[in-house]
Amino acid sequence: MTTLSNHVPDPRLITAFAERRDGPLHQVNPWTKVGIIGALVLAVTVFDRLALLAGLYGTVLIVYGLAELPYRRLVGWYTLPMLFIVSVAGPLAFFEPGTPIGGALSTPLGNISVTWAGLVLFFELSCRSLTVVTFALTASMTTKYTDVAYMLGRLLPRPIDQVALLTYRFTFVMLETLEDLVKAALSRGANFSEFWSNKRLYARILGMTMLSAIEQSERLVKSMEARGYDGDIVLYGDVSRPPIHELFVVAGSYVAVVGYALIAVYEVGL
Amino acid sequence: MPHIHLGEGSFPLWALVLWTLIGTALISTVVYRVRKGGIKTHQIALAGIGAAASFAIFQLNIPVWGGIHMNLTGLVGIIAGPLLGAIVALVVNVFSAALGHGAVGLIGANTLINASEAIVAYYAFKTLIGMDWDVFPAGASATTLGLSVGSFLMAAIIVISGVNGSALPRGDLTIAVAGLAGLNLGVAVVEGILTGLIVQFLASVRPDLVGLTDRDTQEEATGVTA
Repeated sequence: MTTLSNHVPDPRLITAFAERRDGPLHQVNPWTKVGIIGALVLAVTVFDRLALLAGLYGTVLIVYGLAELPYRRLVGWYTLPMLFIVSVAGPLAFFEPGTPIGGALSTPLGNISVTWAGLVLFFELSCRSLTVVTFALTASMTTKYTDVAYMLGRLLPRPIDQVALLTYRFTFVMLETLEDLVKAALSRGANFSEFWSNKRLYARILGMTMLSAIEQSERLVKSMEARGYDGDIVLYGDVSRPPIHELFVVAGSYVAVVGYALIAVYEVGL
Repeated sequence: MPHIHLGEGSFPLWALVLWTLIGTALISTVVYRVRKGGIKTHQIALAGIGAAASFAIFQLNIPVWGGIHMNLTGLVGIIAGPLLGAIVALVVNVFSAALGHGAVGLIGANTLINASEAIVAYYAFKTLIGMDWDVFPAGASATTLGLSVGSFLMAAIIVISGVNGSALPRGDLTIAVAGLAGLNLGVAVVEGILTGLIVQFLASVRPDLVGLTDRDTQEEATGVTA
């Protein structure tokens, strides 16, 4: 049985959390969240100790909980990030030089075994990836639609901002279109459980989704041009500058990460 | 996955900066050419809603090898063209990163990979159609070729960058990443066949969409519904 996946975050659910919940992080300025994401990306890139990375990940998990967001959903949404980690770090755990854990497995290519260094690397990469994944989801689930649209319009150059704004608006429509097409096919007795024998059905559904998107874009063009579209979608929202205490938090995060990198990682003398 | 999104923190800082700069250079070139050539409203709308469809299609679980997800980057390239295809790749990567799929810091690297898939698929499709190939084999081959190029680029990016915290020599890393690239090539064939069938379907109802007839000759919408 194939439906829309529950291990890929549904943008409608993410937006519903942002619009209908009112947790502590909903009150935080969206620019502050963007700043913190940047600091976290820098931190997981330069931090070089598993304990530090695990501590950072634990902190972000606590923040996720404080934002009153569901841990159970988060576990499901970890499926794809973990797949990426396993696909890169999995083979490395065997190849990484170091002391083998337990016995070695004999293969035609020689003996292979997971090493302690390989295992540590696997956990490090997991913490690095999941820290930012968790905070990105936290930020997405606590930032309102109009604020996200405003920031897209401010951060991206034209015409990318126009494309991004239309994408954001129509993602919800396209999801419903795809869902309707899947439901309609199921109600007519379609079977999605095996790909190869149903490849034409898949092609038709995905093709109709694309076709529907294109035809919606053509209708949209007519309505946009009729309303005098001149290459700029007008945004009526506004996201104010972060309050001073949030600016201090963001600046402090960067100072801490850069300071650690300079002193502990790159060993710059003071 | 037809293209692996590299995890956050996988690369050392210099590589993060390098791929971000190269990705920015690519997108800056695309934006410059789009602005210089002038972009029409229908192209913006097509790219925006095409990206939304690509993003939505990713939510569908395809039951191959336990379940795979596709963005149909090759199809987007064939329909939207190389310039808008690259912009769509960036936008889809930005939205994917916001939902925890992909990496915020590696948007530059991921955009390079996905844009290369769209660009190669577009030019390969045009070339094959120009050589009088049928729509299905042309779409399937062009997409498989585009995704294969993306897979090799992804592997090259990992090998050049090295993995953060790993002491593995580049030669051994190449062997480790080769398995990943091989898996991607398998998925590229699946997505290539699916895209070929989709292009065949689109060509049967709207041949102008895949460049088989002039866009201006196609006025009436087909009225697709569930």
